[in-house]
Formats: sequence, C-alpha cells, structure tokens
Amino acid sequence: MTIVGERFRRTDGEPKARGEAIFGVDYLPQGTIHAVLLRSPVPSGRIVGLDVSAAKAMPGVRAVISAADVPDTRAGWVLREQPLFARDRVRYEGEPVAGIAADTLEQAREARDTIRLEIEETPAVVDLDYALSEDSPVLHPEWESYVPTLGEYPRGRNVAAECISDPEGVEEAFEAAERIIEDEYRVQRQYQAYIEPKGAVAIYQGGRYEVHTAHQFPFNVRDRIAQYLDIRPSQVRVIGHTIGGGFGAKLDASIEPHACALSRAAGGLPVKIVNTRTEDMITCPSREDAITRIRTGLDKDGNMIARELVVIAGNGAYSGEMPWLASIALHCARGVYRAGPTRVKSFLVYTNTAPTGAFRGVNGVYLYHAVERHMDHIASVLGRDRREYRLQHLFEPGEVLLNDQVLDDAGILGEAFDAVEEAAPWEERLAATAGPMKGVAIGAAWWVTNPMPGTATVKLNEDGTIGVITAATDNGSGAVNLGITQIVAEKLGVQPEDVYVTMPDTDAAGFDAGSQGSRTTRIVGKAASIASDEVIGKIKQTASELLEAAPSDIVIADGKVFVAGSPDSGLTLGDVAMAATWSVGPIQGTGSFLTPFPDFNPGCATGLMFPSFPTPTYHVHLAEVEVDPVTGAVKVTRYVVAQEVGKVISPNGVYGQVSGGVTQGIGYALYESLRIGEDGRYQERNLENYRLPLAVDIPRVEFSPLEHPDPDGPFGAKGVGENSVLLGAAVIANAVVDAIGVPIDRLPITPEVVLKAIAAKHSAAVA
Amino acid sequence: MKVRRVTTTEQALEALAEHGSAAQPLAGGTDVMVQLSRNEISPDVLVPINDLAELSTVETNGGVRVGALVTHETLAKGALGSGYRSIAEAAHTVGGWQTQAVGTLGGNICNASPAADTLPPLLVHDAELELRSSGGSRTLGLEEFLVGRRQTRRAPDELLVSVGLTPGAPRSGDVYLKVGRRSAVEVAIVGLAMRLVFDRNEIVSKARIALASVAAVPLRVRAAETLLEGEALDGHLLDEVSAAVLGATSPIDDLRASATYRRLLVPGLVRRAAGVCARRAGVSSPVEEAYQ
Repeated sequence: MTIVGERFRRTDGEPKARGEAIFGVDYLPQGTIHAVLLRSPVPSGRIVGLDVSAAKAMPGVRAVISAADVPDTRAGWVLREQPLFARDRVRYEGEPVAGIAADTLEQAREARDTIRLEIEETPAVVDLDYALSEDSPVLHPEWESYVPTLGEYPRGRNVAAECISDPEGVEEAFEAAERIIEDEYRVQRQYQAYIEPKGAVAIYQGGRYEVHTAHQFPFNVRDRIAQYLDIRPSQVRVIGHTIGGGFGAKLDASIEPHACALSRAAGGLPVKIVNTRTEDMITCPSREDAITRIRTGLDKDGNMIARELVVIAGNGAYSGEMPWLASIALHCARGVYRAGPTRVKSFLVYTNTAPTGAFRGVNGVYLYHAVERHMDHIASVLGRDRREYRLQHLFEPGEVLLNDQVLDDAGILGEAFDAVEEAAPWEERLAATAGPMKGVAIGAAWWVTNPMPGTATVKLNEDGTIGVITAATDNGSGAVNLGITQIVAEKLGVQPEDVYVTMPDTDAAGFDAGSQGSRTTRIVGKAASIASDEVIGKIKQTASELLEAAPSDIVIADGKVFVAGSPDSGLTLGDVAMAATWSVGPIQGTGSFLTPFPDFNPGCATGLMFPSFPTPTYHVHLAEVEVDPVTGAVKVTRYVVAQEVGKVISPNGVYGQVSGGVTQGIGYALYESLRIGEDGRYQERNLENYRLPLAVDIPRVEFSPLEHPDPDGPFGAKGVGENSVLLGAAVIANAVVDAIGVPIDRLPITPEVVLKAIAAKHSAAVA
Repeated sequence: MKVRRVTTTEQALEALAEHGSAAQPLAGGTDVMVQLSRNEISPDVLVPINDLAELSTVETNGGVRVGALVTHETLAKGALGSGYRSIAEAAHTVGGWQTQAVGTLGGNICNASPAADTLPPLLVHDAELELRSSGGSRTLGLEEFLVGRRQTRRAPDELLVSVGLTPGAPRSGDVYLKVGRRSAVEVAIVGLAMRLVFDRNEIVSKARIALASVAAVPLRVRAAETLLEGEALDGHLLDEVSAAVLGATSPIDDLRASATYRRLLVPGLVRRAAGVCARRAGVSSPVEEAYQ
C-alpha cells in the first residue's frame, strides 16, 4: 500500500489556512435577511402574555412568528416532545419563544426588544435527585401523549428514560462479600466549545425548503425540520458547509427549523440565523451532568464479586438522542474488569435546563471516571498495586458481558497495557512520582464504533480524477478529507489530490448517519471502497478491450491502467474514462454499508435501546501530574495512550484525533464546567468565564496505535475519532488523588478544589 | 461617536481639554474596545494616542521612567532590567500574546481593574504617575491615584504620560506571582507582588507587598511590610506577614473563585514570594523547597 497508512496533507487544509473555506456562518446568498430568536429569560414558567404587534411595525421587519404561527406539532429524535416555539410553558432558559426576521441584524434585534413577553415563573427543577423524587414538579405533565419515533421505552414523570438490569445473584453476592466499598461521584456539564457558533440560512421556495448549515448530520436536520413543519422529509434539502467544529453538538437540528419557518413567513427570502456565543452556550446540547453511585462487594481475598451502579444523568428539559444512550451505563458498569453479578440502574431525568446531547464519548466519560476512581479506591483500601489489581480482574478473550455480548478480541486489552508499560514502565513511574505533590494513574476502557448506515458513489472523471458523492461530513476530524480520500485513492491507484469528495446535499446523496461515534472513516470509507470495487471492475472491462487482454490481467496503479508486466504500454485513467463514456457509458459505482449490532440478550435489561457495542475498540491511558501546593493547580506532565484502531488509514488524522480527545479529556478533568446555578441558569455564559485549556496546559501525547484489522472495515479500520476522550478524567483524577492523598469525587478538579482538599487534610491532621 | 486624530501629545491634551469626560483616550484598546462593545462606556469622542512615540520610551539612567504607551510585550522582554523582574513577569501574564503586543502600561493603570496585573509590581516599586493636561502637569503616587474599581484620580482633561519607579538597590529581589485557573490568558484570581531589600546581614531593610484581586483596587499592605522590615526572614515571621495580608484584604466570591480560596492562597504565595525575593537578592532563603 502506498496511500493508506501514509502521511498526507488534508485536502481541506490549504483553503482553511488561506481563509478561502466558506464556513456555515460565512454563507450569505444575495438578498439574505437576518433573524434573531426571542428566548425565554427564565428556566421555568407559564407564558401568560405575548404581544408581537409592536415588533411587526418596526422598520425593516419582514416577519415575526411564534407558536401561534406554526403547526401545532412536537418534534424529536427519539421522542416527539419539543415545540418549535414554546406554546404555553417555557422549560429552560433560552427556549425559543418567537422569531424575528428583518433586513438587518440590528433591525431584528431592535424589533425583538419591543416584544412584550409575560411569564409567570414557576420553581425550576434543577437537582437531579430531586427531579427523580416524588416531591418534584413534573416538567411534562402531558408526557404520556408524546410519541416515540422508534417504539416505546420505559419513561414517566421526570424520568426521560431508564435502563435497568437486575439479574439473579446480585443480592446473594453482596451478602457473601467480606466487605463492600461504596462511592459517589458528581460531574458537571461540558460545553463542546467549537469555534463556529451554530448558524443556518433557510430559503422557502416552491413548497420546498433549502437549508444551508455547517452540520454533522444533515439528514437529521432534514428529518427534524419535516417533523416541526409537518411536511415530508423530501420537501427539505439540507446543504452542508465547512464545519468549524461540532464534537456532537451539531448532530441534531437547532436554529434551522426556525430559519425555515421565518423564510416562509417572509415570503421566501433567504433567512439567516447565527447564535451569539452566549446563546450558543446556554442552549448547547452539552455533555450531561450526572451523579454516579457505585458499590462493589469484595471477597476475603479482595476479589470483586458483586457490583451495583446507579446513574442519574441530566436530560435537560427535552430529549435529544439521550434516551437512546441511557443503556451505555450497562456497557460500562464494570469498565473492562470482571466484578461478579452486576446490577445497573440508569435514569435520565428531566430538569429545567437546556437539553443535553452527545458530546464526544457521551455517557462514557463520567462512567469511566466513576469506575476507575472506584477501582483505585478499592486497591488503596486493600493496599494493592493499582495496576496489578486491574490486570487481575481484566476482561479476557471471549469475555461474556452483562448483555451476553461476547468479546472475542478482549485480549487486546492486555496488549494495550503492555504497550503503555513499554512507554512508561509502571514501577519506574511509581518511583518517579513517589514524592509529594506528584502522582500517576492508569486506566482502561472499551468503546463502540457507531454502526449506522452510509453510502457513497464513486465516479471516474474523464480527466482521470475521482469524484466521491456522499452526504458524509468532515466535522474537522479529517475523516472525509484524509480517511475516505486516502481509502479511495489507494483503491484506484491515484494520489489523494486526485480525489475530491462532495459537500453533503440531502437531495443529491443517499442517507448518511452523520459524523458521530467514529463512524465516518469506517462506514463511509467502506461504502466508498465497495463503490470503488465497482469502478475498478468497469475500468478493467473497458481496458481489457482497449489493451486486448483478459480483465483479470489488467492492473490499475499510479494513475495508469496496463497489462500485468507491461507498465510502460498502458493507458491513463483518463483514457479509460473517456473510452468508456463514449462506448458503454460513464464509469461510476455505488456502495452502502452499516455494521450489524453484535448478538445480545434482549431480556438482560429493560430499556435496552443501545443494545450492544459494534466494532469494539480498547484503550489504556496513563497520566502523570504535578500539583502546586501553593495554588492547587494541576499540571499534566505526561500522558500516554495505547489504543486499538484496527488499521491506521491516516497517521496524521489518527494522531490528531487522539491528541484532541485527550485535550478535551484534560479540559473536562481540570478546567471546564457549565455550572448550573440553583436558579437553573448557567453560571458560565461566555468564553471569558468558561475555562478551556490552552496549548500550554496540554502535554504532547505519547501514542501507540494497536492494529488488529477488522475484516469488515475498509483496509481493516475501526473507529478512531471519539474514544480518546474516554479516560482523561479517570486517570487525571486518580493521579491527582495519588499526588495529594485526598479523595476528590467531583469534576472538574480546579485549583480551588485541590487547595481546599489539601487544606482540609492539613486541618484534619492538626486536629 | 467621533474619532479625533492627534499626532502630538499637545494635540491629545487639547482634545481632552475640549471634550472633557466625553472624550476617551484610546491606547492599545484591549480594554476600551471591549468596554465599547459591551456598552459599558459611551464616549462622544475617541482620542487614539497609540502613535505618540514620545510616550513610548523607557529611560533607565538612575531611576526608571516608563512611557505610558510602552507595551506589555516590551516590558515582558525585560526592558526595565533585572531590578524590575516583577513588572516583566506581570506584563508577561496580561491576557494573551495579542493583548501584550498592543496593550500598554498606561492603559492597564488607567483602566484600574481590581485584577490589573501590572499594578501590584508597580506598587512595590513605589510608582509615581506623571499626569499632564494642557494647563500643566502633576505627579501622583499610584496608590493615591487608584480610588476604586475602574475609578482613578485622573481628571477628564489629563493624560497619564509616564510612570516613575524607584531606583534599583543592591541585595534586592522582586517577584510577581499570579494565580489563575489555567496557565495563560487568564484574569488573576489573586496576584501578589513583593520586593525585598536586604542589608549585609540579610536583614530586610525595605519591604513592599501588594496584591490584586483581593479588594476593589490593587493595594499595598503596609502592616505586612512593617513586620518584615528590620527582621530576618523565617517561617514564623512569614506566617505573621500572611496574617497581616489577610487582615488587610477583603476578597470576594466571583465566578472565577471563592473568597475562601483567595484566602487559602495567601500564606503559600507570601512564602513563595519571599523565597523568590531572597534568592534573587542573593541571600539565604528559609522557605522550604515545595513552596519555591
């Protein structure tokens, strides 16, 4: 192979560096007018008055709409519960109440200021335990009337979804235990903090809507708009643009449906909406807040023989895709360690806060934090070496999981521990961090590669270049501009610069499930690989006639087509394309792909919406930290990753993803949080207050890829992009605890948290 | 809002005399532009002064005189010399590189933020401000100049033109320590500057301690300074100094940190600062290694 596994510049790199790329927020067709949303200023209340008449009379105003002007429908990815505009109640701060479109943004804002909105505030439900209790007000008294999009699932009152697995033998195992170790961990929300805030341009014309947006999942936008506006999905055309980052926050529609409704109300003028940073932050489908309660029974030798995990995660006021993902708790309840019979109760609860969503490693990050913190706690209680204790309980090849999924390849975990050991020998690192205020920790994880379907059409152009038509999106990861591009170039024997991939367009390309869960390189790369095979067959057929040789003797390499053994007497790909076009017709091929879910036991749990983990990958991370005893600041001095990738398609792309995931993990562990005040409002409301780590806060990540090619993946590739975020909080928290000798059971671990913990330890010692 | 172009200090002073409090001098713009965009200020006239070369000089014969338009970048590179490291350290932490490239010392002073990084080190160097108006000029100590959060004694027709600093001394050391939630581009949770001058017997002959982000204005803590003067550094003394600092400050809870955390920081910062000052002065330090 000369292309796959080699380093290339990404095909979208130069236009981005030169400022030529048109990001979603840059797109501005002729005649565009500008819109803003009036959003609820309070997290909970009844709308008792809404008067937009003054706004309609303001200069430049083209349309003012609210719930009264749009179909009385509810929309949602998993559950149809969200109105386009709040109708009688508001359920979170920032919920859209009205939309205003005017010739200029200033005019739209001035008109918005004249709208009289009266809300009778009601107490906001904020605390997760309280939301789950019988005392709490119910956010959606009409919850029973909501229609699930893919079949009913367990929910009720403030429980947006639950997944419960309570197999036989758990209680008996706890009763047999010599001792029981119990922990509780609390984590806050994390903002995806992409550079480009959400924005869209919508144009209503001839009964159809054309929507321009920089989005991870254009087909989902199409479907959501159709739900809200009560039309057929094919009446919506979503055209993708260069994305300034998403990390999961751009997987569901946000302001696109509002732009559509406003364009229609404004007589079909193009309507543009762009979130301000504060709007973007307070309405963002952030990483879930969660409480995790974990309990393990140990036998007299210290072996783990019983486990219980109870999770309460914040759904916010409406459900995005989160109900689907409540069952991830089942898949991560033990991490990658045997722990005996296990009970899992996972609750996703409504609160009067912005709906949460899929931030890279959704649900996994806080679950691994809890499981791995708990593992270190158990090892320290037992006086056992933390790495040794993990290895002793590590999943083995053929491991049967709680849902009866079988992990034939779980032996990769041991290889990952070995790879980290080679880079950073545990005994050596323990000695190196033995002094005060230094710490080290190790942890492990497994994760899914999103299996959802995708498709690609590959065509051979008459100039010998290759076009790939797909709705796959490159969210910045390089999955399209490196991954798919290198796969197709390798297959067809051309250089990456001779391959282009179209931007997504739901009218033109087949369904694609979006850039999520590390799926694009694997799923769409495979679809493009299948399509390439069809193209190769046609090239060989055409060339065999031109070169008077059997198709099986035709070789395609280095942009040439020739008879095996005679590379100098061949044709160019362009020659073949031209000949085919004017004889049998243009050469193109199409492929589609998805990964089936691995076998599982449907009876193992209730609410098992995400039943098993397709194409699993395995991970071991090691972190070292130094704590400043004066300020409490934690510096991550070393970070080592061993990760199963199947096959490295693009070394630059893979390392970029690993490095980026670790950075977000460090941000989550030490810096970032969207704190929800008692009043239900976010405390961090701009990037001045929301602390993102900077380059100077991040060490260079040491990375060992492990390659066990998957026979179904393109050249063996598994998912790479998402999973490097999983263990940052786990290993950094454990390393900090190792450094200061005090347990810290919340995230983020800010300097203030650390210094208070050190001070409490000292005053306890004095007392 | 109008922009009044000026090419000399005199023209700038005329503009200020003409428009009074309706005029806003604009130097690096790293605070003014943000405040304009947030509608926190609404001047009728902006007077850009950033091209006035005469206010961008550093004189270092005897004492030090720093032009008001000297940038943080220039200061961070050590333009004032080794006796003023705290100022370089502070300038190096103002915002990010972009801020430091255009932001000025005079701007940082006149903005009078409680968290202004350069103010504590200027205070420990007994900064004297030269304020000029079309009617004349006057000199004011920095401490006196600072009235409250974003409030100063600058009259509307006055321009801060330069800052005078006390001459360097042998056996002296100074330092600025800043606490944030990350390593750069940060507003100080607490900023502490210290300058110690020692005699031949390693007795502190002169002490200065000033802090940012613990009160409405950056302030000197004279009670703490008095405790140090005439004494040799030791751990017990530094505990007393910390207590004096805590007694003189009134930190608040805000989004960045709690008052409790700000108080917890003080003893460690005092120790670390004293240790660094001693090391830089070339005298022995009683401060244990973990605090260095």
